[in-house]
Amino acid sequence: MRERLGRWRFARGLKACTAADDEVLTRYAGAAWPSPDIPVREAPLLALDFELDGLARNAHVLQAGWIGFDSGGIALAGARSVDVRSLRQLDDSAVAVHGIGEERARQGVALQEAARSFLGDLSGRILVAHGASIERDVIRRISKAMFGSEAPVRSICTLQLERRISPNLVGSDAYRLSAARKRRNLPGYAQHDALSDALAAAELFLAQLSRLPADVRLGSLESW
Amino acid sequence: MASELSEIESFLKATAPFDRLGDEELRAIVRKITVRYYRSGDEILRSGEHNDFLFVVRSGAVELRLAGDELTARLERGGCFAFPSLLRGGEVRNTTTALEDTLCYLLPADDFHALRESSQGFRDYFADSEQERIRSAVRDLKRNRSQSLEQITIGSLVPHREPVSCSPNLSIADAASLMSDRDVSTLAVCSEGRLKGIFTDKDLRNRVVAMRRSLDAPISEVMTPSPLTLPEGASLSEAMGMMAAGGFRHIPALGPTGELRAILSATDILAHLGDSAIDTGMLVSNSATAEALIAASKQIPEGFARMEAGGFHAEHTMRFTSALGEAVHRRAAQLAEAELGPPPVPYALLAFGSLARGEQLVGSDQDNGIVMDDAVDGAGREYFAALGARVSDILDDAGYVYCNGGIMAMNADQRLTVGEWQDRYSRWISDPDEDSILRATIFFDMRAVHGSAELAANLRGPVLEQAKSSPLFVSYLARDAQRSRVPLGIFRNLVLEKSADGEKVFDAKAQAILPVIDIARSLALSEGIAAVGTLERLDALADAGKMARGDAESLKDAFLLVNELRIAHQAAQVRAGIAPDNRIAPANLSPLERDYLKDAFSVVRSGLESLKRNLAGGIA
Repeated sequence: MRERLGRWRFARGLKACTAADDEVLTRYAGAAWPSPDIPVREAPLLALDFELDGLARNAHVLQAGWIGFDSGGIALAGARSVDVRSLRQLDDSAVAVHGIGEERARQGVALQEAARSFLGDLSGRILVAHGASIERDVIRRISKAMFGSEAPVRSICTLQLERRISPNLVGSDAYRLSAARKRRNLPGYAQHDALSDALAAAELFLAQLSRLPADVRLGSLESW
Repeated sequence: MASELSEIESFLKATAPFDRLGDEELRAIVRKITVRYYRSGDEILRSGEHNDFLFVVRSGAVELRLAGDELTARLERGGCFAFPSLLRGGEVRNTTTALEDTLCYLLPADDFHALRESSQGFRDYFADSEQERIRSAVRDLKRNRSQSLEQITIGSLVPHREPVSCSPNLSIADAASLMSDRDVSTLAVCSEGRLKGIFTDKDLRNRVVAMRRSLDAPISEVMTPSPLTLPEGASLSEAMGMMAAGGFRHIPALGPTGELRAILSATDILAHLGDSAIDTGMLVSNSATAEALIAASKQIPEGFARMEAGGFHAEHTMRFTSALGEAVHRRAAQLAEAELGPPPVPYALLAFGSLARGEQLVGSDQDNGIVMDDAVDGAGREYFAALGARVSDILDDAGYVYCNGGIMAMNADQRLTVGEWQDRYSRWISDPDEDSILRATIFFDMRAVHGSAELAANLRGPVLEQAKSSPLFVSYLARDAQRSRVPLGIFRNLVLEKSADGEKVFDAKAQAILPVIDIARSLALSEGIAAVGTLERLDALADAGKMARGDAESLKDAFLLVNELRIAHQAAQVRAGIAPDNRIAPANLSPLERDYLKDAFSVVRSGLESLKRNLAGGIA
């Protein structure tokens, strides 16, 4: 029921994009979107991560990193990372986390350019992230602000998936990206670099996929 | 905007052979990589299939089995696999399985080949064969050793001043004045441009003044006649070995036509090295009492550790340490003779095993014996019993501890006449069995270190003849060599073996060095080759066309590589005040050393295989 509703919402969102009469959104809507009924092993995926300047709903994007992949592997040739220009006074605590200072934030690309770039690569792909709802919401918000309409996002959340695969772990820390990776024998990465986090999520998803039946359906893993 | 894949970049930067690439090259390569994940038990590659990638293990571990069956290797983080298939066009021979959940980086074949084109370091690492890889490893080691003693010639060390010389007829008094006027401590005695002898300050003291010789006698009567010489192109290490073994301080250096060019003194070498290793040799040879000899001998391990720290090659450290050991043995026999009186018949003190081969490190026990002239009588045998006991006791105190197997001059069965030894050897050769061969191989590495070289030669000659014409004996030797458990490699902190799941400690001598010694000995004896040292035997085999030159070189390289590690291990133990042994903990090996070892093991294993094919036949 939830999935059916989600599919309908996504279709409606695409229609709105077409109607928005913006080049980026039109192309996004017109992409070959995989059917939720195909095996996830055949689905084109995109791991994406934002570093934000705070936790507020209107937090600014400082950095975006993404990389396309599928169950056959992650080709690093497709890795992208952009620093986003921001004129806002940075939230000190966020700076401490990301290490992206005002100087660097001022030198980045305009948000619109960054959005054009990752929306292009996300066209026809399922977003994969650890805690994917954040990325999903940010994309919708930016899309609305920049191009006039919310781009609907199909996503798989590795955090939710981890709760499904290993349901009985004690404490929420056990489900953090680094802890989940460690359980799958994946190397420790420095966190809070957008591309590095995106890659980390992509690798974790491949590891999770190896624990699922070979024919698991794409739609059954998506967050609708 | 440049993407940052710093995690992957920094991993590769610390992983051979990518550590040999420049930053730009590395950054470009990172972008060519595909990341794949394999669950524990997943088959990554299957024997017989086609492969287009070089695989690097990023985390986890994999196992390679030849044709899916025989264990070839286990690799962990940083390990590369599947390149042999790329080198032969794609055909996979090793079925590769994930032993654990494993993350791999895959580099496409085209980029792999392009890197081999553009980077010498990368190419060397992925040389087609272990043989080539091990050669480049030895080259690396040698390059890294500064001040190689084999490259410094004695000619370059001594100042090119005309050595002070005189004719053999000059009186002692005039010779002494000449030395005094020219302010030299050594005089070369020449006739018609040829060196006839040398005369030193010390000779003046010991052979003239102390002996109350007439100063009018000709110098030729008190000089050291026909001194050992070296060509001026000889290496420093050769000169040091000669001084340490002979217990003298001067070596005349000769030019191309045998003319005297200079006299190299120990002081010249000391000035160059600042090392007291030669002093140890001098102390040994000049020890007036057993106590003095024991004290001098105790310095050998320290000198050994200094040689290692000073960048000596394994070959030289072995040669030099053996030369000192030989000097201790000789001096022990001389001191025993001084205590017991002159020997009743000619005899020789024989060394067996590593000392005979000139491959001794520190911490060896003693392996020796005595060969007596056939004319010895009952009283004579008692003399040699006392001599043998004294020599063994001194050696034990000097650090060459009693031999567990009883191969010592103090034991009656180790003190035989030439004829008795010949009978003993003859029994081993003509009537071999597994058990006797096991204990006898050491006797076939034999050398006289003191006394009558002729007696030893009389014994050695017939033994070589008989061994050469006894295929059954040789096949027993070849089969005995197969007992060694040469590992496949080091996996994590375990020694990986074909049959076992792995030991915690790698016995560098038993598991890598002894098999090479066995191979060289078996083949040399089968061909009647007289050389005793392993490197010399392998050279002689190649010279005689009995072993492919490349195979001989590879075995030598493997032998030297493992000995480098052994020497470093023992030197560290000596510095830490621990009794030296051959047990190396894998945890102490760097990734590069593990790679080297893996290649060395492979060379040794194929040497054993080939020995088995060629000689071990005929017995089931």
